[in-house]
Amino acid sequence: MINLLRLLVLCGVTLLVACEQASEDVIRMGLANAPVNLDPRFTTDATSTRINRLLYCRLVDFDSANRPVPALAQWQQLSPIHYRFILNREGRKFHHGAQLTARDVKATYDFILDPDSASPHRTALNMIDRIEIQGDEQIDFFLTRVDPLFPAYLVIGILPADLMSKKHPFRDQPVGSGFFQFIAWPEEGRLRLKRRRDGQLFEFLKVSEATVRILKLLRGEVDLIQNDLPPELLAYLKQKERVQVEQTAGSNFSYLGFNLQDVDTGQLAVRQAVAYAIDREAIIHYVMQDAAQQAQAIFPPSHWAGAGDLPPYDRDLKKARVLLHAAGYDEQHPLRLVYKTSSDPFRVRLATVIQSQLAEVGIEVDLRSYDWATVYGDIKAGRFQMYSLAWVGVKTPDIFRYIFHSDSVPPNGANRGRFKDAEVDRLIEQAEVAMDEGQQAMLYRQLQRRLLQTLPYVPLWYENQVVVSRHNIQGYHLASDGNYDGLNHIERHIEQ
Amino acid sequence: MMMRLYLPAGIILLWCLMALFGSFLPLEPNRIDLPHILAAPGIEQWLGADDLGRSVLDRLVMGARTSFTVALGVVCVASLVGILVGAFAGYVGGIVDLLLVRIIDVFLAFPGILLAIALAGVMGAGVDNVIIALSVVGWVGYARLTRAQVLSFKHRDHVTAAIALSTGHVRIVMRHLLPLIAAPLIVEATFGVASIVIAEAGLSFLGLGVQPPEASWGSMIRDGTRYMLVAPHMVLAPGVAIMLVVLAVNLLGDALRDWLDVRNTTEQKSW
Repeated sequence: MINLLRLLVLCGVTLLVACEQASEDVIRMGLANAPVNLDPRFTTDATSTRINRLLYCRLVDFDSANRPVPALAQWQQLSPIHYRFILNREGRKFHHGAQLTARDVKATYDFILDPDSASPHRTALNMIDRIEIQGDEQIDFFLTRVDPLFPAYLVIGILPADLMSKKHPFRDQPVGSGFFQFIAWPEEGRLRLKRRRDGQLFEFLKVSEATVRILKLLRGEVDLIQNDLPPELLAYLKQKERVQVEQTAGSNFSYLGFNLQDVDTGQLAVRQAVAYAIDREAIIHYVMQDAAQQAQAIFPPSHWAGAGDLPPYDRDLKKARVLLHAAGYDEQHPLRLVYKTSSDPFRVRLATVIQSQLAEVGIEVDLRSYDWATVYGDIKAGRFQMYSLAWVGVKTPDIFRYIFHSDSVPPNGANRGRFKDAEVDRLIEQAEVAMDEGQQAMLYRQLQRRLLQTLPYVPLWYENQVVVSRHNIQGYHLASDGNYDGLNHIERHIEQ
Repeated sequence: MMMRLYLPAGIILLWCLMALFGSFLPLEPNRIDLPHILAAPGIEQWLGADDLGRSVLDRLVMGARTSFTVALGVVCVASLVGILVGAFAGYVGGIVDLLLVRIIDVFLAFPGILLAIALAGVMGAGVDNVIIALSVVGWVGYARLTRAQVLSFKHRDHVTAAIALSTGHVRIVMRHLLPLIAAPLIVEATFGVASIVIAEAGLSFLGLGVQPPEASWGSMIRDGTRYMLVAPHMVLAPGVAIMLVVLAVNLLGDALRDWLDVRNTTEQKSW
């Protein structure tokens, strides 16, 4: 009898806990990939970077044209190699209660610049000579070389110096000063945060399969999902009553890369033939369901250094065949290319379409899809003829030196195709030291025109950013780089 | 009668014909047709189109060849190896038998499909590697059955007589034992075909079978899972094909087993 009573009490408690969990007002976001590392000093993957933006404040952010704008601090350029940052009076409270000061900024950047810390962001900041603090609210950065874009590099979240000195595990217990505060990360695929202004709870749930993610959204198990959805499913979701679909033009740049040291792809005529053979318009319309914009360069025209007047490589099979013939290929001696891509089903699908389009001009493509680590390792090592990838979240024109300058062949940069062009090098170097933004933008536009002529990459498209949410979720603003900042403004309207 | 023999025989015949003569038909299983992406089944395309606008029917026919090739290859290799090992163990006996039985036990103790996945993963994707992986897993069934049958038949009088007449061991096994145990082995092979068709589909589903753009039923299901909500025909067509073939093979295997069973009467044998 006593045992029976105990059992009943236990069942009652369990039910109460379950009811409490069910009634908890949590906004849940479904993610294709879970965050890996919530320490911004070491974060490199997209999901972690986006979540870290919620948890940590940074000195500088970007406006809609990707110009650097003040975030935590205003800045002054005291000399070409001396910048002074003055912290704002508001919004400087860490989640553990301490005030964010210049000491925290210096500690964060000193840690990244320390070779022993092995931060992946150190290379991008290697122009910093030293950092000096002037009181609690003023930090001076001294550079080793002139770089007018310097403030745009200071976008790493600031960590509290006191916890850094205690070797706090920020990786899985982040403490920042952002709009969101860390609550728990009980398992890889379930991260819980709290919005500081109103205490609203958020959960980030990993659901790898797109179909399952959508089913969970339709059942109300998640409230919103962003990107990583097959385009056909967006059309399906648009017909559903209790969900809303929003899209905005994205800035993530997809491209075909070539090995310029290869006998075949090293020839400009071959690369141009590939560019003319691909029907990007058809791929965007039919395969991507118009959820992308054609690209001619790394930066979209809306970027301050973007070039809007670049001539596109519209599909021209005749021209492609003429170019191939001029390069010495014909039906008896067809051009054969090995095309590497990741094993992501959508990437394989796009690559298969490109393979068939290239076959129409007589280019025989051997398509090889590998897991991400293998394909990325091969590309970094230069073991490829042709590959497709995308640059995600690129905002500053220093990317041009990183991927196209002849000094940036790996491991010094990401010039994976071993592209060497004196004119491109000259334009990169000139633009880097131009002190006037207008002149800089002009030089970068010239550079992008030159890149389109020499074709180390065939530009493909910028994929749209997409968010699908339950009908009662309001106020989410989609960013062109796919960040989750819109979570700071969303509300759930309770149905009567 | 209809359900037990003609229907399964008809399905298997159709499967064999698709596999053997599919490549002679005017099919375009790899022709990409972007405007028809995920087109529903209709008059123009009977089973609809896949995520690249390719005809699902054409790919289904070409996928039949993959599953048939793998099933035939694995049954041949696995039965040959299994019968040889089982007959040797059962006939020789003693320490050799003990050793071989232990090896068989080790293989049986490990989940077959997991071992096949591991092997296919190590060797790489491709039909030939799938055949090797499934053969490595599949031979033990034949070996165990052959050994048990040989053990029960090797003390029969006609075998003793053959030994007394100084007949060679190989001849005894080939002429006096194997014909006696052929019936259960044939039944085992028919059931093996069904499990191999499923295993091949499973390996192709995991990306370890044929490589794109070649078609296999497993890879067709894998491609279709992403579009189940908007294009269920991509999964249903190969799924139903696998189900029908496996069901037909099993029904035919059952019928064959009944027919070969000596306990059945003459009337029953004639169905």
